[in-house]
Amino acid sequence: MEKILQVKDLELSFHTFGGEVKAIRGVNFDLYKGETLAIVGESGSGKSVTTKSIMRLLPEATSEFKSGEILFGGRDLTKLSDKAMQKIRGKDISMIFQDPMTSLNPTMPVGRQITEPILKHQKVSKDEAKKVAIDLLRLVGMPKPELRMKQYPHQFSGGQRQRIVIAIALACNPQILIADEPTTALDVTIQAQILELMKDLQKKIDTSIIFITHDLGVVANVADRVAVMYGGKIVEIGTVDEIFYNPQHPYTWGLLSSMPSMDAEDAKLYAIPGTPPDLLDPPKGDAFALRSEYAMKIDMEQPPPFFKVSDTHMAATWLLHPDAPEVEPPVMVIERMKKFPGSRYYEGGAN
Amino acid sequence: MAEKLLEIHNLKQHFNVGKANEVKAVDGISFDIYKGETLGLVGESGCGKSTTGRSIIRLYDATDGKVLYEGESVHGKKSKKELKKFNRKMQMIFQDPYASLNQRMKVMDIIAEGIDIHGLAKNSTERKKMVYDLLETVGLNKEHANRYPHEFSGGQRQRLGIARALAVDPDFIIADEPISALDVSIQAQVVNLLKELQEEKGLTYLFIAHDLSMVKYISDRIGVMYFGKLVELASADELYENPLHPYTQSLLSAIPLPDPNYERNRIRKAYDPAVHNYTETDDVKMREITPNHFVQCSDKEFAELQERMATKQ
Repeated sequence: MEKILQVKDLELSFHTFGGEVKAIRGVNFDLYKGETLAIVGESGSGKSVTTKSIMRLLPEATSEFKSGEILFGGRDLTKLSDKAMQKIRGKDISMIFQDPMTSLNPTMPVGRQITEPILKHQKVSKDEAKKVAIDLLRLVGMPKPELRMKQYPHQFSGGQRQRIVIAIALACNPQILIADEPTTALDVTIQAQILELMKDLQKKIDTSIIFITHDLGVVANVADRVAVMYGGKIVEIGTVDEIFYNPQHPYTWGLLSSMPSMDAEDAKLYAIPGTPPDLLDPPKGDAFALRSEYAMKIDMEQPPPFFKVSDTHMAATWLLHPDAPEVEPPVMVIERMKKFPGSRYYEGGAN
Repeated sequence: MAEKLLEIHNLKQHFNVGKANEVKAVDGISFDIYKGETLGLVGESGCGKSTTGRSIIRLYDATDGKVLYEGESVHGKKSKKELKKFNRKMQMIFQDPYASLNQRMKVMDIIAEGIDIHGLAKNSTERKKMVYDLLETVGLNKEHANRYPHEFSGGQRQRLGIARALAVDPDFIIADEPISALDVSIQAQVVNLLKELQEEKGLTYLFIAHDLSMVKYISDRIGVMYFGKLVELASADELYENPLHPYTQSLLSAIPLPDPNYERNRIRKAYDPAVHNYTETDDVKMREITPNHFVQCSDKEFAELQERMATKQ
């Protein structure tokens, strides 16, 4: 498959009064054409910062690329001039934000907000842009698009606003769409509609999507591949089945066990103890070690490298080292592994 | 069945009454809450679930209907003394742990506010001790008492909100989306804490939320609201196994679960209120289909639903 975006050894820091916050500490991933890559992790794990650095939306005065590159179409986005970046932003790579109310301009009719990127990036007349905008509104399922063009954001419901934001993001047929928690502010029924819409549109225009969320249910629904982030690093990456049915990193185990399943008994929920690491002074070894019951001595001293589980699946945990003792994952994770051919708990032919 | 702690009869909460933009946020709902149970209330935003909670605790004056707490009406005229008595028994935990704590007060004073108002501490040493104990109960420690809310993370702030609610030793707590603003791993910590406290102190909860998997986990019974009305009420397991109202079915079918195989096959049902075909003569109200499973339906639907459940068993 064709690689459309490559992030290599990306390191990024923020300069604050308290010192240097190492928000991203060596992130590597590729994005393939037409796929959806979900990035999960808790607040402060660096998932939003990673995507904002791809879009170069971080304040230049306080943020700094320490090393690494972001390759898109043969160019390194970290080194582009602002002007060159403006030609990519909104055209080749566009973004959908969490809160549709704050990402739309309340004083501008939505029609003008949709035609804005079209007029900016394409050589078309105002009338043509308007036609494209009406088509886009129809595409995202807005009834009476001609009439709606003249209305203001406050005249739309939350779900409709997010549809408009999606229409704006798709205005120039981007190659990459970054969606940063696009459904977190919405109700489940509206969320389901928006997710269906995004999947439909992806099929139609063959965009690659980077989907950021902390809702694992949404991940299971939309993702082809999943990257789990913790403490400014990717700790595990693999196909959606590999992450959900054959997870290897203790943090992924914790995440999967802390959600109640619909058929769960009244057992106590597993809560990951403690709090995320302070990235002003990141831990020397595995960032998750202090919260992990599986931590070994080496976890405190040396950050684990990526170990290959399969061609598509990698995890950064010393547990995968050949010399590591065999440990038993939490019960809920073993239940999941039973469904996965290739895991050591697989109950063959159970399906 | 257990003793009733709270009875809600035909509660109505209308805003802008008599004006063109009258909103019937809660439009005639009735249910009971039993001692020691957790009743979950779910529905989309704007369905009136938070308003219901706020009317029960008298943050709003109800337009119509009755809320009886241990047989006594919550609304209506009350002397200051009577009001205080009620306020001590019912407490609330709010959704946004960032907005519900006064940024300019120290944790000590935030938690002790209820203690002061009700005069529960004889002197300042006792007051301090009570606050320290409460902090420990919710998994924080006494060093935290001299800090300000901004020094805490989201999960810790929600613990402070819980400590504040517990300060006056209530019997009944309304938790209005207490975990929606928290990360998944922190949600589990707070939910576990709420459950532990319930076991220890025999608390009764009204748990308002839109995350259905968490609601199922914590609740004994669940009520589903739609447009200001309660459309279904049943035990948590029963509701998930046999959802009878089409809106409940639609809501359940919309939840994404952390299971890719399930997600590939999940079929979402849409809810269209027109399916009921209610006419003006239809008497649409809550009816008991099977024991303790109530559904809002007309006479005709009632017969159909009963038959469906009978053939199922």
